[in-house]
Amino acid sequence: MSGRTYTKHMPDVRMIAQYAERGTSVVHSINPWTKAFVLILVVALVTVVTDLAALLAIYALTVAFYVLARLPVSLLIGWYAIPILFVVTLVIMFVFTEPGDEIVGFELGSRRVAVTDNGLLLMAKLVVRALAVVTFSLATFMTIRYKQVVYIACKTMPAAMATMFLLTYRFLFVATDELTNILDTIHSRNGSLVKGIARQTRMFGGIFSHAFVHAFDRAERISKAMESRGFDGEFPVAERVPGPGAKGFVAVSILTVILAVAVIDRYLGVKGW
Amino acid sequence: MAHVHLEDGAISPIWVLLWWAVAAALIAFALYTLRHERTSVKRLTVGAMCATVGVAAFMVTIPFFGGLHLNLTPLIGILAGPAIGSLSVLVINLFSAAVGHGGWGVIGVNVVMNLVEVMIGYYAYRSLRVSLRAGRFTSGFSAATLALVASAIIVVIVIAVAGIQDSHLDEDETARNLVFIAAANVVAGVIEGFVTAYIVVFIGRVKPDLLEEVEIRRGEANMSVPAAAR
Repeated sequence: MSGRTYTKHMPDVRMIAQYAERGTSVVHSINPWTKAFVLILVVALVTVVTDLAALLAIYALTVAFYVLARLPVSLLIGWYAIPILFVVTLVIMFVFTEPGDEIVGFELGSRRVAVTDNGLLLMAKLVVRALAVVTFSLATFMTIRYKQVVYIACKTMPAAMATMFLLTYRFLFVATDELTNILDTIHSRNGSLVKGIARQTRMFGGIFSHAFVHAFDRAERISKAMESRGFDGEFPVAERVPGPGAKGFVAVSILTVILAVAVIDRYLGVKGW
Repeated sequence: MAHVHLEDGAISPIWVLLWWAVAAALIAFALYTLRHERTSVKRLTVGAMCATVGVAAFMVTIPFFGGLHLNLTPLIGILAGPAIGSLSVLVINLFSAAVGHGGWGVIGVNVVMNLVEVMIGYYAYRSLRVSLRAGRFTSGFSAATLALVASAIIVVIVIAVAGIQDSHLDEDETARNLVFIAAANVVAGVIEGFVTAYIVVFIGRVKPDLLEEVEIRRGEANMSVPAAAR
């Protein structure tokens, strides 16, 4: 097992688990329910708030939370690549077509192509929103232990859903190793030199075929082993997670009030409230 | 990228809630169906493995057009069926949101898009194999390509109707801006169609029992060895 990830743009599940299980920061000691509720409120806030300055303030707070958890900031920047790419691919055309004042432009045939201030503002807002949530989400998942995830999943999801979610979490470790090993094998045999859509498509078809077949073989073995040990579809909960304490309740309440104010400001403010 | 994952804040709160409601209803229906069928541990394990490979697939970048990744959602539909496949795509979206590969608030709309791919993947493959007796390669390619092309078009319609948050453009202008993404997704969908076809052919050779459920005719089920995914 190589036990390493093949991309710098997605967090390795082993690293997430390592930080969650071994971390000793203040954020690690915060009640997991509190962090989960705050994550929901952060998502709601960045969806409701439309002012760039306010969004930047929310983003700054999420980064502070991440730093407080003593998580790797340099890796976080690499993990930002995917959300930024998603936002840019979605709104790149809006930068040119959004009505507003021209910042820079050029003639393309008979048409004028120009970057507008509103277009850039739109992209900036979406990027800040995405990064704020990604930062807080990673900080949350890298500070909640597996046993706590099990309890929260079992309490919040239907049994079948929770079982599948938790099995997926456990299987991810072996599946990523499986894929990494296949990719290592292919690269060691100069597979990375394969050119052409047809040949590469066939090669990647082979990679995922092996991954699926191995995964199903393992799934069959695991299900037989689990059933032989009395597993009936209900995941065993080894640790109970108490509800948020007084401080957590206060933090969630304050954020809820802020969200309520933001909702009123957005939807009722223009009508004279 | 082969697929549009919306990030948080891309659509307005009203649309976020609406799509969450639609996704919740569809997932509730899938759960109800599974409860009716009395879900076995094996089926849940197979669904979890499908979700796992779906999440792990994000690690692998195929070097076309600057790099694209595969969804594998039509394939998940073919292998796990629509009910378990629906739960798998929800789990994939939950894990994706946790690491920034799509937002939490927009899980609803992202799940609905993936469900479209799972459903079309399953039913198109089944129709081609069972009714038209088409080969596995043809069926796999056609089903996956159809599912992903349909999804690419629906994404544009969904975003055009909902509008990008804070944008001042109307539906037509928004749709025009998204044509490039749709075109890129259609090309990526065709590439994934070929990859899916190779995978289906490979699985059909080395582990054909995984395809029994989707390939077997109604009424023949009791005469055959139980499918691995059942």
